Amino acid sequence: MTIVMLLIAAGGLVAGGFLVAFAWAVHTGQFDDTCTPAIRVLLDEPGSPSDRHSEDAAHGDDRS
Amino acid sequence: MSTAALDFPTLPTPAAAAVCRHCGEPCEAGGVLTARGPFCCAGCEAVFNVLEVHGLSAFYACDVLPGVSQKRGAHLDPGRFAALDDPATAARFLDGQEGGVARVTFSVPGMHCGACVWLLEQIWRVEPSILRAEADLLRRTVRVAFRADRITLRRVAEQLASIGYEPALDAEGAPPRMPAARRRLYLKLAVAGFGAGNIMLFSFPRYLNGGPLDAGFQRLFDGLNIALALPVLLYSASDYFRAAWGSLRTRSISLDVPIALGLTVLFGRSVADIALGRSEGFLDSFTGLVFFLLVGRLVQQQTFDRIAFDRTLRSFFPLSVRVQRNGRIRMVPLEQVRPGDHVVVRPHETLPADAVVLDEGGLVDYALVTGEQEPVAVSRGETVRAGGRAVGRTLQVAVLHEVSHTTLARLWDHPAFAKPKARWLTDVSARFGAWFTVLAVAIALGGAVAWWPDVDMSVQVATAVLIIACPCALTLAAPVTLGTAMGMLGRAGLYLKHSAIVLDISRVDGVVFDKTGTLTTAAAELRAEPVGLDLEAWELARAVAGESVHPVSRAIAHASGPSRAGTSQVRAESAIEVPGEGITGMVGGHTVRIGTAGFAGSPGPPPDGAGVRAGVSVDGRFRGWVSVSARVRPGLDAAVASLSRTRQVALASGDRDRDAGRWRPLFGDRMWFRQSPEEKLALVRAGQAAGGRVLMVGDGLNDAGALAAADVGIAVSDETACVVPACDAVLRGDRVAHLPGYLDYASRARSVIVLCFLISIVYNALGLSFAVMGLLTPLVTAILMPVSSLTVMGTAAGLMRWYARRMLPV
Repeated sequence: MTIVMLLIAAGGLVAGGFLVAFAWAVHTGQFDDTCTPAIRVLLDEPGSPSDRHSEDAAHGDDRS
Repeated sequence: MSTAALDFPTLPTPAAAAVCRHCGEPCEAGGVLTARGPFCCAGCEAVFNVLEVHGLSAFYACDVLPGVSQKRGAHLDPGRFAALDDPATAARFLDGQEGGVARVTFSVPGMHCGACVWLLEQIWRVEPSILRAEADLLRRTVRVAFRADRITLRRVAEQLASIGYEPALDAEGAPPRMPAARRRLYLKLAVAGFGAGNIMLFSFPRYLNGGPLDAGFQRLFDGLNIALALPVLLYSASDYFRAAWGSLRTRSISLDVPIALGLTVLFGRSVADIALGRSEGFLDSFTGLVFFLLVGRLVQQQTFDRIAFDRTLRSFFPLSVRVQRNGRIRMVPLEQVRPGDHVVVRPHETLPADAVVLDEGGLVDYALVTGEQEPVAVSRGETVRAGGRAVGRTLQVAVLHEVSHTTLARLWDHPAFAKPKARWLTDVSARFGAWFTVLAVAIALGGAVAWWPDVDMSVQVATAVLIIACPCALTLAAPVTLGTAMGMLGRAGLYLKHSAIVLDISRVDGVVFDKTGTLTTAAAELRAEPVGLDLEAWELARAVAGESVHPVSRAIAHASGPSRAGTSQVRAESAIEVPGEGITGMVGGHTVRIGTAGFAGSPGPPPDGAGVRAGVSVDGRFRGWVSVSARVRPGLDAAVASLSRTRQVALASGDRDRDAGRWRPLFGDRMWFRQSPEEKLALVRAGQAAGGRVLMVGDGLNDAGALAAADVGIAVSDETACVVPACDAVLRGDRVAHLPGYLDYASRARSVIVLCFLISIVYNALGLSFAVMGLLTPLVTAILMPVSSLTVMGTAAGLMRWYARRMLPV
């Protein structure tokens, strides 16, 4: 009985954590645009891999 | 890859097969031939150069010739973003500013593919003071963060325009944003899903056990279930209770009423069963049901979001106008223009209000208001109407009315716009809802009576009937079918304002077409052809016409007619436009006159035929004619012919009946020319009075009344950015010929809904037989309800996708 109670509490905590995380994601606008991100990941940064590095360093904090 | 195929330096025939390296449009005579390939216009070449200089040429590898054609932008005024220097105007676009970094959201109508997203988000390479840009493809907006201490908002807009994406600065200001209701729907769905998942977990032990668990566990699980189901009832399902209450208050019974009734009984009976220790209740079915209902609603709204073209009339007007006060010209926001103000309207700018001409006059084109594409000559003291565009030269006018009292605004205020249309689906839903509720209550009472002396069993059977009769699958059928159909139609180029319009389209039995911009391409794409004109005079005429911005001149200059090799460099030395008459100029020592018969010195009247005829004379000798006409959209004849087999078709045009002969084979006597907006409206009304359901296909404001009054109004637009008020749908210009396909697809949507209704009725009948016999256990409900919902959703979405692949253009 005790172990079941413990498992229920643990399960509820995990599930509730996800619910809160989801609510936060919705609230911060992460579900506002469900179309563009799917396209964005398929597009490369311009330039060769080496200068991509330096550009990322230069603009990294701006483009977070 | 087609970019590679186009990589050779010059092309043998510049006129015919070449396509623009930037946007993929055919390069006609106005094209630019460079060492890097052909471009359709100087604008495209400029964008290509900007991208190359900043190392962004990878744009062309993202998609096949993905650029936005810059042809339309050729005449744009470089100072058009000056309004953004006005702090009040800028505030409408800015989202916020902190620590020198400002954020702005622009609507960028030209964005249309993944490559556009990529390019817009790389704009910081072009302008270092732009920190980041984030594009939203669905809403066609771009959010830009920039260093407000280094560059102005105006500069940001100009940079966007420089890479080919013109921000829309209409009077409405801010682009569409995510409505708060959508975020709430996600949360409601999450709560319902959380409840359903966990309750199922706690219900499983008892299902697997085949009977009650040991008392301690059972009490624990039951308590947890009720605790989990409460937020679902109070939060997630709240919309259904509110809708049902609203519908009852207006003394009508929509489908929301039996849903709310079913949900209430389901929850009440479950709590009662648990309290009495009779069973574990139906809470898993209850939460699962709410979850599926909300999924259906999300599908519906997601497609609805896809386009937010519900803007107002003011979107057509310039954001701010040049007002001359005390000898100085200032940019004044539209709403601050007062009667009596002295406004300077430059070529291609729109008149913001009815006004009186103050200077010697010029040309005004009323294509937006009447559909008539040829400019009208106006002289001093004449009244010009709002919505007209100055052509050729600047006009000085004194405003007569405020913006809201102009001709267009009066048309806009017509009752036809204000009255919401009664939709077939709401009718059906209301009738069905009433019928359904009465039947369910009747069966519940019948069941109760049949079991009567046994009070306990009577209550159980009655509640079981109400639970199983909950028309959840029924309510899913329409939104999923219509939502999928709307999404598929949008992908194929027909954008609906909301999904129920699919049904209205399916019931149309008469189609009225506007001519200009609908059957033919927009006025901006006139086609010029020489008629009995020798090659030399044609070349000279094109050179002179190249010096003018008059639409007819532009068509002549850019015509892809016969040309002699090597003569395309001919340029006019001088050109003078005579408003309302024509243009005269010097080319290589010859005096060339193009214009009306009298102006060109023609011995006789112009030959018959469609379009405008311009005479051409060289050194005082009349040489022949040029015919300028709007191009009929390809494939249109077959489309209209196919429509006329099953429906009545008619033509209502604001133009003169010059080319009536062209259309007679298609429309017979059902053609009306020189129609004012009111007459078009009356025509649609007459069709409806005769019992018809009319689909009006038009291009904009000059038939806005008719679009709004028709059972379905479809606005044809060659730029999706061009917003038409009061229509139900926007159709891409190049897809007009597919209209029969769209109508057939809409009819299929109706059959699919009927099929889904039948499926859900079969499930309901099955469930009812269990319920009446008193055999409806929680386990049966837990299986039957989700299975019926899923079958209906799967059938609806699957069939509509399958039909879309077969019937709609890609």
